[in-house]
Amino acid sequence: MENELTSVVDALPGLVWTALPNGHVDFVNRQWCKYTGLSVEDSCGKRWQKAIHVDDLPQLLERWQSSISSGEPCEAEVRMRRFDGAFRWFLFRANPITDGSAVVIKWCGMNWDIENLKQGEKLLAESEQRFKTIFDEAGTGITLVDLVSGEPLQNNRALQKMLGCSEEELSHFATFDELTYEPNRSVDADLFRELYDGKLDTLRMEKHFMLRDGSSVWANVIFTLLRDADKRPRYIIAMHEDITERKRAIEALEANQELLELAQKAARAMAFDWHIQKQVNTWSPQQEALYGLAPGTFDGTYESWKKLIHPPDWPAVVESLKHAQQTGDISAEFRVVWPDGSIHWLMANGQMFFDDQGRPSRMVGFTADITSRKRVEEELRRSAAFLAQAQQVSSTGSFSWYPSITSEITWSDELYRIFELDRTTPVTPERISKRVHPNDLAAFNETIEQARATGNDFECQYRLLMPNQSIKYVHVVAQARQDQYGQLEYIGTAQDVTERRRSEEAVDKARSELVRVARVMSLGALTASIAHEVNQPLSGIITNASTCLRMLDADPANIEGARETARRTIRDGHRASDVITRLRALFSKKDGVYELVDLNQATREVIALSRNELDRNRVILRAELADDLPLVRGDRVQLQQVILNLLRNGSDAMTGVYDRPRELVLKTERDEAGLVRLSVQDVGTGFDPQTMDRLFQAFYTTKDGGMGMGLSVSRSIIETHHGHLNATPNDGPGVTFWFSIPCDDEKMTDEAGGPRIAVTDQTTAVRHG
Amino acid sequence: MTTRPLISVVDDDESVRESLPDLLKEFGFEAQAFSSAEEFLASDSVNETSCLLLDVAMPGMTGPDLQRELTIRRQEIPIVFITAHRDEGVRPRLIAQGAVDCLFKPFDETDLLEALNNALRVS
Repeated sequence: MENELTSVVDALPGLVWTALPNGHVDFVNRQWCKYTGLSVEDSCGKRWQKAIHVDDLPQLLERWQSSISSGEPCEAEVRMRRFDGAFRWFLFRANPITDGSAVVIKWCGMNWDIENLKQGEKLLAESEQRFKTIFDEAGTGITLVDLVSGEPLQNNRALQKMLGCSEEELSHFATFDELTYEPNRSVDADLFRELYDGKLDTLRMEKHFMLRDGSSVWANVIFTLLRDADKRPRYIIAMHEDITERKRAIEALEANQELLELAQKAARAMAFDWHIQKQVNTWSPQQEALYGLAPGTFDGTYESWKKLIHPPDWPAVVESLKHAQQTGDISAEFRVVWPDGSIHWLMANGQMFFDDQGRPSRMVGFTADITSRKRVEEELRRSAAFLAQAQQVSSTGSFSWYPSITSEITWSDELYRIFELDRTTPVTPERISKRVHPNDLAAFNETIEQARATGNDFECQYRLLMPNQSIKYVHVVAQARQDQYGQLEYIGTAQDVTERRRSEEAVDKARSELVRVARVMSLGALTASIAHEVNQPLSGIITNASTCLRMLDADPANIEGARETARRTIRDGHRASDVITRLRALFSKKDGVYELVDLNQATREVIALSRNELDRNRVILRAELADDLPLVRGDRVQLQQVILNLLRNGSDAMTGVYDRPRELVLKTERDEAGLVRLSVQDVGTGFDPQTMDRLFQAFYTTKDGGMGMGLSVSRSIIETHHGHLNATPNDGPGVTFWFSIPCDDEKMTDEAGGPRIAVTDQTTAVRHG
Repeated sequence: MTTRPLISVVDDDESVRESLPDLLKEFGFEAQAFSSAEEFLASDSVNETSCLLLDVAMPGMTGPDLQRELTIRRQEIPIVFITAHRDEGVRPRLIAQGAVDCLFKPFDETDLLEALNNALRVS
């Protein structure tokens, strides 16, 4: 019986063992010995533990001890060492055998080989992990819809990223509905419904999503229906592939195609693709039309093409083809003769392809009719030639300058010649300034700065110092205008006026000498006459006084005679004083011609008169004449003398100025008191405030060549006009001389004075006769 | 000499005509004044005059004109020119033409006296 039992136990497909209540193993079957390679002897007691994987042993022993204590069955999964050293997973199970009073009398155990089961589990876990990884990490957006709950069950990161939503948001159909491009919403929903109802197994659609951030996404979506064992729809998997880029590219391509057609139409250029040797007409009707051919009449051969080209242009075409042979680029302009005999200019641009023998096989490109362009070019060339000739003859160059966009100035050839500059490098104000005479540089820079800042027209003359140290005079006139894009552009001319300047200077010098002599002469005569008039009574006074003294010194003193001579002395004193009064009357000149005077116009005439003198003194005159200046009543010529005098004074005051532009600002305006005010502001050396009062005295001068009469006479003229002439030191360098006189709408008390000798200038704006 | 020398003053300026004779008389001369060269030539004094105090610039006949006229008439009267035009170039010219001196108005009595003494010495 025991033997029979033993053979049964040995035959059991498991490792069977028994243990004493204290856990000591007292029996193992043959399977155990066979698997572990241990003998019964080696397995009894605690020795069996050698067969357990060391990592699994502690846990096993803990449970085993616990079961021994409690008498509860024990179960554990452990790896067991096979006789060859390999480990396999076993299910370790032990049940207690108890007596009638539930006391454990024996443990009976069996270990099952569960290695294969374990392997299966592991594979399944790995597979699940793999799937999860794919699901999570896939570039494709995936969602799994559970048709039992009717909601999306799962979605992956790619989908969340694609649609800009959280995992939670995408677990509701409402979210998908919201994102679907509104016009497509119902159609998409209908399609999906068919799938949902099991009418379709797969569905592909391009879905257009409008995302919450305002961007849009195109997705190619493949829905797959999964059914359960009973073929009932169970899940839907939807795979979203982002095709936004592709969509955009296609749209762009379509736009390009349209653009190409538009461009062809607009440029009147036709694309051609000509397989030359196939002798097949691959020309479009439009291409044929450029050659004056009826649609479909071109036979596609090289020879026929050659015949269409205007013979004189053929060599140039051949040259272009040779060039194309080397570079592949076709670029040619040539004339074609239409069947009606008319000649047309064509331009061809494109690419040439060659066959194995290097012969041209295919040409791809554009042809455009450029007849009108050629005509315009020809006209431009002709007028440019005219202009160049005119510029050369007149030594005048022209330029264009966009001060706000670029420092570069576009120059005509003549300007390069005048300035003797290399025409390969761009011209800038900085480059020009290297040619400007050092003494004129400040004025030149000032002009450039003004132009940049104000956008006003300008006119000026500068000296150039050429590399060979010769001097050239250049007269520049520039007009500001807005070009078609609203940009400020100066268009102007610069003329070499050296020759003219030289002769002008000679004339000027002679004239200025003459003027100086005349000035000195008249003042000399005036002084002499004053001296003569005053010396007469003075002579009487001194003679009388001598006589008087002698009469008093006589013995006896001639008191009566002395009294008489003293009386005569007094009378002569009065006479001298009368002479002075007469002179003042002479200066005040009350018999002026009073008329209505436009002070601006009078000023412009003075400026015109003094232009040369100011230029020679390198004075920049800026005239700011008020538009709304009222007329004044006065002696026009006298007022002009005053203005001229102020301009000269200002100009003379700046002769020693080299470190700044010699700028005179002449301003007319209506002041706060309603008077008409004219001021001349210089940047000259100025004067000591203490000498201010003496400025207007006769014979006071700060100038080497002056007699000191100008300001005194000027003041008396202005006072005759019921005005004031004054000088104020500037905040910066120099002085402002100004006068203000009442305008016509204020009654002049002296209006009736003086005969009206009409010295009316036809250019004056005498508005009231 | 018991008779005092006669000094004739020819000047268009009234204050000179009034003041100068009084001073000359104080010097101890006889003095007469004429408002123009013509008036002097027409007077009896031409032959009596020991010295002529003659203004250069006058309306009508000028001082130098009168000098020429007297030379032509061989009336050798010493002449002292007086002028209110202070022109230094005039003085040597007039002296070269025979004048004793040329005084610029206003002159002081010392210069006048010296010039007169020179003139009278010449005569």
